[in-house]
Amino acid sequence: MRNLFAMARRIIHQIVRDKRTLALLIIAPLLILTLVWYIFGAKASEPNLAIIHYKSSDLLPAFKSADYERMSPLQARQSLADKKIDAYVDLKTPVKVHLEGSDPSRNGLAMSKIQKSMQAVQQINVKKMKTELTGAIQTQQKTIQAQQQTLRQMTEVMQRYAPSALATIMQNAPKGEKPHAAAAPEKVKLDVTYLHGNDDLNTFDSFGPAMVGIFVFLFIFMIGGVSFLRERTTGTLDRLMASPIKNYQIIWGYMIGFGLFVIVQSFILTCYIVYVLNIYDIGHLLDVLIIVFILSFSALSLSILLSTFASNELQMFQFIPLVIVPQVFLSGLFPIDTLPGWVRALGNLMPIHYSTEALRNIMIRGTGFSGWWFDGLILVLFSIVFIAINILVIRASRPVVD
Amino acid sequence: MNVSYPVKGEHLHKRFKNQIVLDDVSLTLQEGEIYGLIGPSGSGKTTLVRILLGLEKADSGNVELFEQRPTLNAFRSLGYMAQSDALYNELSAYQNLDFFASIQGMGGKEKKQRILEVAKSVDLEKDLKKNVAQFSGGMKRRLSLAAALVHSPRLYLLDEPTVGLDPMIRRNIWTLFHYLKGKGATIIVTTHVMDEVAQCDRVGLLSEGKIIAQGAPRDLMAQYGVPSVEEIFIAIEKEGAKK
Ligand SMILES: Nc1ncnc2c1ncn2[C@@H]1O[C@H](COP(=O)(O)OP(=O)(O)OP(=O)(O)O)[C@@H](O)[C@H]1O
Ligand SMILES: [Mg+2]
Repeated sequence: MRNLFAMARRIIHQIVRDKRTLALLIIAPLLILTLVWYIFGAKASEPNLAIIHYKSSDLLPAFKSADYERMSPLQARQSLADKKIDAYVDLKTPVKVHLEGSDPSRNGLAMSKIQKSMQAVQQINVKKMKTELTGAIQTQQKTIQAQQQTLRQMTEVMQRYAPSALATIMQNAPKGEKPHAAAAPEKVKLDVTYLHGNDDLNTFDSFGPAMVGIFVFLFIFMIGGVSFLRERTTGTLDRLMASPIKNYQIIWGYMIGFGLFVIVQSFILTCYIVYVLNIYDIGHLLDVLIIVFILSFSALSLSILLSTFASNELQMFQFIPLVIVPQVFLSGLFPIDTLPGWVRALGNLMPIHYSTEALRNIMIRGTGFSGWWFDGLILVLFSIVFIAINILVIRASRPVVD
Repeated sequence: MNVSYPVKGEHLHKRFKNQIVLDDVSLTLQEGEIYGLIGPSGSGKTTLVRILLGLEKADSGNVELFEQRPTLNAFRSLGYMAQSDALYNELSAYQNLDFFASIQGMGGKEKKQRILEVAKSVDLEKDLKKNVAQFSGGMKRRLSLAAALVHSPRLYLLDEPTVGLDPMIRRNIWTLFHYLKGKGATIIVTTHVMDEVAQCDRVGLLSEGKIIAQGAPRDLMAQYGVPSVEEIFIAIEKEGAKK
């Protein structure tokens, strides 16, 4: 036990005295997350749009001048070529849209805006039809009223001169039914409800859980791996092995020593994105912390394992494109449902995949323990396997009777 | 007389890929002696020491520490100083010694006292607060030695402990070795410095994977009919070249 704590204490001393590493561990993830927040969390900018052939068009009210610049066809074409506008709408029937087209995200913005205006166009058309119809109905009603007037006069005359004939006619006349009052026209508006999240959920909110996982994993991986690698290359590991310390104490010493920083780091990181960046989070902070904590354990144990196969720092960093980058892409940042089966299977071998799943459940879907225990368990299993291999590796290089 | 063997290596073979580094080396240290291991660079001294320690696996042959198969417990009585300094550069000298003492099972006042004691014996007591990163090469070497001494072991395996040290400090360190020996410790030390070799009780000469000569320096001088230890070395090398 004492050895274990001596190991852990030493690692804590090392990190605390190495201010740069400490900064990298704590501040760098915050900086990068802030950057990501600005990029993905910002409200999308408004598209620049214009209309042409608007003078004679009844559709003009649907295209407010605040949103659509009025231009001549020539002007519009020129502005589009200069990328001053993203699209212009030709109001001559049939309505046509001309897009700039080189940037898919701007295309999307322009189209969604124009589609909104087109809904207004439809309403205008509907209204126009309605007024035409009401006009027609009114003329018909007038004719009917005139006929009724004549009928009434005829009835009066008949009552005076042939009452019996009138009675027969009245008896056989079909019973006039009162026309139903026209039902109030229903509002054509979609009523949207969200099972999880709300319409304020932006890209950062859904990226956030994956991002937290990625950064925690990346930084712990780098620092843990390099620190164990140094132990090997400077020969201090040999010194440890020539001491009575037990194999598991070496590895667990690392786990505990780094674990403390992981707790601090994940606490700061999580509080930062939840309370400062205001990421969408309806789950419990503690649940988030637990996941982040066990994720970094798997990062640490994996990095120690891989440091065995590196003989210097550069080689350690060569694992980043191999181990971290695929995890970024398969972590759930991007939808992977359409990928070939083997790629998805690969994703299932990646710790960040599980942390993202768990964190999404916690933060966005607000599920408690029931929503993350499985992913958490798999992360724990990852760590256990890596730790066990680490201990075996050390044991193999130490031909001593235990 | 009850003679015990702190270290015993028998018929050790070791090869790295195609290169045979140790070829049937046997070595037994007697309690309370200083054994000097000499030999040309690359002859396998470090490899031999590491095998005796259990840091490296011999391809065949066996090693005994304190007359039994090496156990973790045996390491309590063993001080190892590697050819590289093997220190934690981010830590202060004190923290380094503190850590190495702790994993040897020391604690409390005893540990503190012992750290100051060994620091003094390698002349570093004023630099304990300094970061190792700010140490000179010689200071690191001495701190590394202090780390091997801190738990007062009975057996020392020191791989070129005095390389890069000035003559004054070197002499102090050898005085320390003789002092430790006087208290019953056994020391095996590799070196290239001939006046150090003369101070050993026994010398083993490792060349091309074999111990080609072994004995007290004076006996070896007589055997080869040369007036200094240095010339033993040269004589043997020449002999080897002739064959
Ligand atoms: N891990 C290793 N892999 C491959 N070859 C090695 C390894 N360690 C040592 N060697 C080789 O074994 C031989 C002996 O090395 P060793 O370090 O034991 O020499 P040495 O006698 O200590 O030399 P020096 O006096 O320079 O310290 C060298 O030729 C070296 O190249
Ligand atoms: Mg050597």
